[in-house]
Order: sequence, then structure tokens, then C-alpha cells
Amino acid sequence: MLKKRARFWLAVFALVSLLALSYACGGKKDADSGDNTSGGGDKPAATAWAPKGDEGTITGKINLTGTAPAPQKIDMSQDANCASKNPNATTETVVAKDGKLEFAFVYIKDGTLADGKKIGDYSFKTPDSEVVLDQNGCHYVPHIIGMQPNQKLKVTNSDPTGHNIHALPNKSSGNEEWNESQPSGAAPITDKTFKRSEILVPVKCNQHPWMKAYIGVVKHPFFAVSKEDGSFEIKGVPAGTYTVVAWHEKFGEKTATVKVDAKGTATSDFTFDAGASASIESGSLTVVPAIELPMLMKH
Amino acid sequence: MNKGLHRFTLFVTGATLLLIVAGALVTSHDAGLATSDWPLSNGQVFPEMQGNLFWEHGHRMVATSVGILVIVLNIWLWRSERRAWVRRLGLVALAGVIAQGLLGGLTVKLMLPLAVSAAHATLAQLFFCTMVSLSVFTAPAWSETRQALEENADAPLRYLCLAAAAGILIQLVLGATLRHSATWDQHLPVSLLLFHLGGALVVTLLLGTTIITVLKRHGGETYLSRPAQIAAALLVTQLLLGLAAYLTRQASPDAPQPRNPMVGITVAHVACGALVFAATIVLTLRAFRSFKAARETGASYRRLSTEAS
Repeated sequence: MLKKRARFWLAVFALVSLLALSYACGGKKDADSGDNTSGGGDKPAATAWAPKGDEGTITGKINLTGTAPAPQKIDMSQDANCASKNPNATTETVVAKDGKLEFAFVYIKDGTLADGKKIGDYSFKTPDSEVVLDQNGCHYVPHIIGMQPNQKLKVTNSDPTGHNIHALPNKSSGNEEWNESQPSGAAPITDKTFKRSEILVPVKCNQHPWMKAYIGVVKHPFFAVSKEDGSFEIKGVPAGTYTVVAWHEKFGEKTATVKVDAKGTATSDFTFDAGASASIESGSLTVVPAIELPMLMKH
Repeated sequence: MNKGLHRFTLFVTGATLLLIVAGALVTSHDAGLATSDWPLSNGQVFPEMQGNLFWEHGHRMVATSVGILVIVLNIWLWRSERRAWVRRLGLVALAGVIAQGLLGGLTVKLMLPLAVSAAHATLAQLFFCTMVSLSVFTAPAWSETRQALEENADAPLRYLCLAAAAGILIQLVLGATLRHSATWDQHLPVSLLLFHLGGALVVTLLLGTTIITVLKRHGGETYLSRPAQIAAALLVTQLLLGLAAYLTRQASPDAPQPRNPMVGITVAHVACGALVFAATIVLTLRAFRSFKAARETGASYRRLSTEAS
């Protein structure tokens, strides 16, 4: 009798272990996988947005005051393929020229359209086009990109060396971390998406630790990245009043309220201070003074 | 006593320290996910060791070698070691190295969750501790008839040693958790850093008291005083390395990549921590051996120093 009972509990233990193992190995089921709108991972929107033909534009410049930190030289000697292809590589954390800042991500954070609805009340179709992130000269090109939820990310490797692409979304964002190796000459990686909006998802290569990129995932198409001359342009913006944010990996965020008229062009410049710095922890960003805090508290 | 077996055990223990160094190099270079697969690297047994893959795959190769060495050690133990408990300890080491390999695989497959990474680093120290213990037990000196030593009833040395070893183990766990809670380009979490600093103070007090006690009570007994002296030298070195590691690590987030001074000093700090632990384990085991010998022979406890005089 005792043996029979022992066998019963052994069977129960084995069953529970198997269930736990299958749960652990199975991964999460994606509840949003069938949603083809870019609001798919976010709160369902009531109205599908469609352009009316009277959309406007937001344009502006990203300025940097103070002395910009000089780009730092990258030592690529640990991979001869990188060193030979890109012998004078420098960091892209702060790229500024004549007081104009490149690689700021500008997007509409919130706002009200002319019809009185909030922008969050609309859903936006996921673009069919892929967003391309290339690895070239052991750098990510481009350094900052924007895309919409569920839009496909295509990662290519133009280098004569292998890389791994490691996306590190914020744990609370609902996006999943992933890491995939891509040897030299391998086919592009085309099956990656982000299901939720997130400002911004850091991407890094653990083989070449200087390689970093950031992906802004925004539920609508109203975003841009500042160019070499600091300029940015967001086209196709419906008439309304918006909170526009400029994000920079080193200097943090700046916010402005921008009114866009039908078929109009609104201009909004943003100015960052070179004396401020931001610490980025898995996608979240906190602005901290660069020097004032004692070393121990600089966290 | 088989001298060849003891020398081989020492060799495997040295290889284990090298494995800890290799693992620390992986962490400091942030190379743990340089390949997304395991146990192969990029689908190959011997991939081209480009960039940080050199550190990650190198660590796997050293780990595989240590695993093979531990298997050979177990075969040797089962063929020539008469003490069943020593043979069983060899099996514990084998189980430890296998578990460590699986934990290493989990760190890659689960993309370095803090708990798994810290467990991997902690088990490394426990495995090293097991190998150090085997080295002590297989040493000819362990089986020699020893002079009985007098234990102090108020502050038994054995328990002081145990407290120091336990304190060091906790400090190693704290250090491992601190290291794995932020990559080279992030600042270390202040709360954990403070705990680790507090741990350093506690370990210094515990180990310092133990060392002074050993040298005061049994300074003439080299079987005990030598590991105590070595532990003292290592403790001072470790504190200095800790300070240097902190300073270089604080500057690291502003660097474009992990810099060699930060990597070298931090890895030396990890290795020296393992050596402090090893010296304390040797001291603890020898202390138990010395006082156990006194009990076994039924002799009245005597102070060696008194005898010498």
C-alpha cells in the first residue's frame, strides 16, 4: 500500500516537473501577434487614422550649447577585420558640429488633433516596409532609428566579421529581449519586431562592445532623427497641438508644445546643454548633473 | 599517501583558479552573450575567435578542460584513495563542475538574468573551495600524526576560522551579485556597492581576528601559521585591489569600450578574492585537523608554544 502511494506521489511529482519544464521552455504566447496596426501592443484605439490631405510638417534644429565632448577613439584591435575596415572609428554618442547636434530622436509624445481627439485615440497602420539596421565598419548604421510597433526590422551584416545583435528593451515595456548571432555573409535577420511603443530600445553587440544603436518604437509615424546639421523634419502631421520630445542618449529629453495648422509648417528648435548627461538603464533614461554629485552617488 | 594524486589535485585546483579568471574576463568584457547559442558557439565547436567571442569561447574551452581533469581526478581517486569520504568529495566536485557548466548554459539561453549569473559566479567559488579542500585532504601532511593543540574554550579557533570562511563566502556572493548587476557601461548600484563595502569591513574584522589569534596562540606551528600569514597578505592585497577596481569601474561608463586597466584590476580582484577564500579554507581545515588530532589521541590539550619553551 505504501509503495502504491509512493508511486502515486512520484507520478504527481513527475507530472508537475514536466509541466513546469514545458512552461519554462515554451516561452510566452503572444497575445498581440494577430494585430496588424501599429497600436497593436498598446491600448486598442477606437479610430483608424487616415490622412486627409491637409497634413502639415514639424521642422526644427537641435542645438547644443557649451563645449561638446570630443568623440572618443575606438580601439578595434581585438578584431582585425574591424580594425582594417574602419581604422579611425570614433564614438557616436555625441556628434555635434557648429553647435548643431546629430542623432537626436524627435517624436510626438502626446497631443490633440484639430477634431478634438487625442492622438492616442487613433490607431495607425503598421507600415509594410522594413526598417534596416546595418552593421558596417563594426558600427550600427544608422545609429538611431525609428519604427512602429510590429513593423519588421531587417538586420544586415556588411562586415567581414561576425556580430551578435542584442536588443535590450525595458523589462516593464512588454517588449522581449532578444540576442541573435549573425556571422559574416549570413542572410539578413528579418523576423524581429517590437510589439510595444518604447523610447528607446538599446541595441548592442556583445562581440564588439563599442557597437551601440537605439531604436525608437512609436505607435504613429510622426518621428524623425536629427541630421548632421541638427535639422529634423516630421511630415504628414495632422493639424493639432502636440507635445513634441527631442531625446538624446547623452543629454536626455527636451519637450516643447507645437501647434500645427492644416497644410502648415510649424518650427520648433530644441537646445541641449553639453554640461548635462543622462544615464540610460535598459531603455529608461534619467538626466543627472554631470559633475556635481559625489562619485559614490553617481548612479 | 599518493604524492602523484596530491600533485594532480593541486594542478586541477590551479586550473580551477584559471577558470575563475577566464569567467571574470567574460563578465568584465560583457562577452557572455557574444554568441547566442550554447554549448556550440555560432554553431561551431571551434569558431573564429573574433572580438569578445575570444573571451566567451575561451572560457568554455577552459571549463571543458577542467571538467575533463575532474573526471580524471575522480578515476584516480577511486583507484587509489582508500578514504571513502575523500572519494565522495571527488564526486561532489564532479557534480559541481557539471552543474556549473549547465548554469553557464542557462546564463546564455536566458540572456544573463542576475540570479542565474550570480549563482554561476557563486558556484564557481564553491567548486574552487571543494578543489582546495581535496588538495588539503590528499596532502601528505594531512595524514601525518600531529601534535595535539590546545583549544581555547572561550574563543575556539576552529569556530573563528569557520566564521571567517562563512563571512568571505557571503562577501563573494555579494561581489558576484554586484558585478552582474551592471555591465561595464553602467554605474554600479549604490545599495549593493555599500553592502559589498560593509562586507569588506566585516571580513577584515573576522579574518583579521582569526589571523591574529592563530599567530598569537600557535605562531610556532607552521601548519597553521603559514596559511594565516598567506591569508593576511592576500587580504591586504584584496582590499587595495578592491579600491583600485572601484576607481577604474567608476570611470568605465564614460569609456567607449571596456578598458584594460578596469578589466585587469577587476579580474585580479575576483581572483584574489578566491585566493583569500582558499587560504581561509586551508586554515580552517587544518585547524579542525589539529584539534581533532588532539581529541582522537586522547591527549590532554597542550600548547605547542609551552612545549617549545
